[in-house]
Amino acid sequence: MKFTITIIVLILFSGCTKEIKPWEKGMLAKDSMKSSSKNTIGKKFEEHMFFSKEASKGGSGISGGGCGCN
Amino acid sequence: MQLRLSLATATLLASMALQAQDYVSLQYLQYDEGSGRTSVSAPALTINKDFGADYTLNAYIVVDAVSGASPAYSVDTGSGASAFSRGIGVAAATVQYSNISYTDTRTAGDLALTKRLDNRDELNIGIARSQERDFYSSELSTEYMHWLGDNKNKSLSFGVSYQANEILVECTVAGTSSCDTGSGASEKMTASVINTQLTYAQNISQNATASISLFGIMESGYLTNPYKNVVRNNNGVTADVVGENRPDSRKAYGVSLKYANALRSSLTFHTLYRYYTDDWNINSHTLDLSLIYELNKKWTLDFGIRGYMQGEADFYNGSSTYFTSQIYASSDDRLSNFTSSTIKTNVEYTMSKDWSVNFSANYYEQSTDLQALYFMTGIRYNF
Repeated sequence: MKFTITIIVLILFSGCTKEIKPWEKGMLAKDSMKSSSKNTIGKKFEEHMFFSKEASKGGSGISGGGCGCN
Repeated sequence: MQLRLSLATATLLASMALQAQDYVSLQYLQYDEGSGRTSVSAPALTINKDFGADYTLNAYIVVDAVSGASPAYSVDTGSGASAFSRGIGVAAATVQYSNISYTDTRTAGDLALTKRLDNRDELNIGIARSQERDFYSSELSTEYMHWLGDNKNKSLSFGVSYQANEILVECTVAGTSSCDTGSGASEKMTASVINTQLTYAQNISQNATASISLFGIMESGYLTNPYKNVVRNNNGVTADVVGENRPDSRKAYGVSLKYANALRSSLTFHTLYRYYTDDWNINSHTLDLSLIYELNKKWTLDFGIRGYMQGEADFYNGSSTYFTSQIYASSDDRLSNFTSSTIKTNVEYTMSKDWSVNFSANYYEQSTDLQALYFMTGIRYNF
């Protein structure tokens, strides 16, 4: 597991990535690049559902609370 | 000339990024589990408003109306299953595992203010509140994002939140919960959660970004579910049906990796992997893949799949004959060894520059026999 994560991180963040100039960021500025769904409230619903039905959490930000755990 | 065009393009892109941040969105969720289990109806409202280029305020509120049933052990009293049908020394033959009915309403909201500094670093401060009949939660959070380098292709963020929870535990027959009927109708218990996250994000090409987050979560206090029972086997003939008992602290750590790639201007691919581990011996892996396809200027389609697997907690066992005198014991399926899968779809229709509507249909399934369908629909107005 640690080996796999290390390899992924090295590939993603290695020096082989080139510096992106401000005028080359048109694609990066799109809403579709910022979130995995256009429906941001829907993502909150889902995160709360997974929190209520599964035993693990974290990794998607620091805020968020409430139970609804029946 | 080329430099001027480039600068003009950069300025235009920057202004585009700042536009359309002001919106109000209303969504409605309908969530239904199979086998007559939990149903949730939840309207939610969010408002996002920029104040100049330096401040953004986001407010969110949701009201969950929850009803249905959740499975648990109880004593068959002949008058219907209740989480509080507990007892000491009851006949083992009267112990049942069945759906226990309940209803509840949860109101939750949060407010977040983002301040952009002169160097465009961002400071975010948030408060959140959640309230149910028997559960109250208050949270403060802050996060600082620092750009690394002048071209703003790399950033480092650190955030921390503190959550204080109050849980009202109904008192039952002596010895079956943390308080007995002699001490009043309910007892107020407390728990706290500290959540920290460090994130490094980087643009790795003109159409791809990636990030890695390390997170730690420390929980302490009353972490038991007051509506879940366990059966403590005495001698095979009689048993004690009592409230479950979990450790009063939990330390969890994990890492999440995200990668987004615009495969072409109309098609974006997102992937997320998360590894989680805690000192209850629960380990989990989550993989989430999604595609956003902009069919044309009016229609956008999202499609996603999520796979999840977790190992069971040290003190979990689902059997009615396993537990005897162990201090910590739970038969809550959520602490068991299981896998889950989710299929997600969303379609958005942009009616005009300011108005759009969406509809989302999703399916969730656990290897514990839990299945759920959930739908979301809503409208958004950009102002």
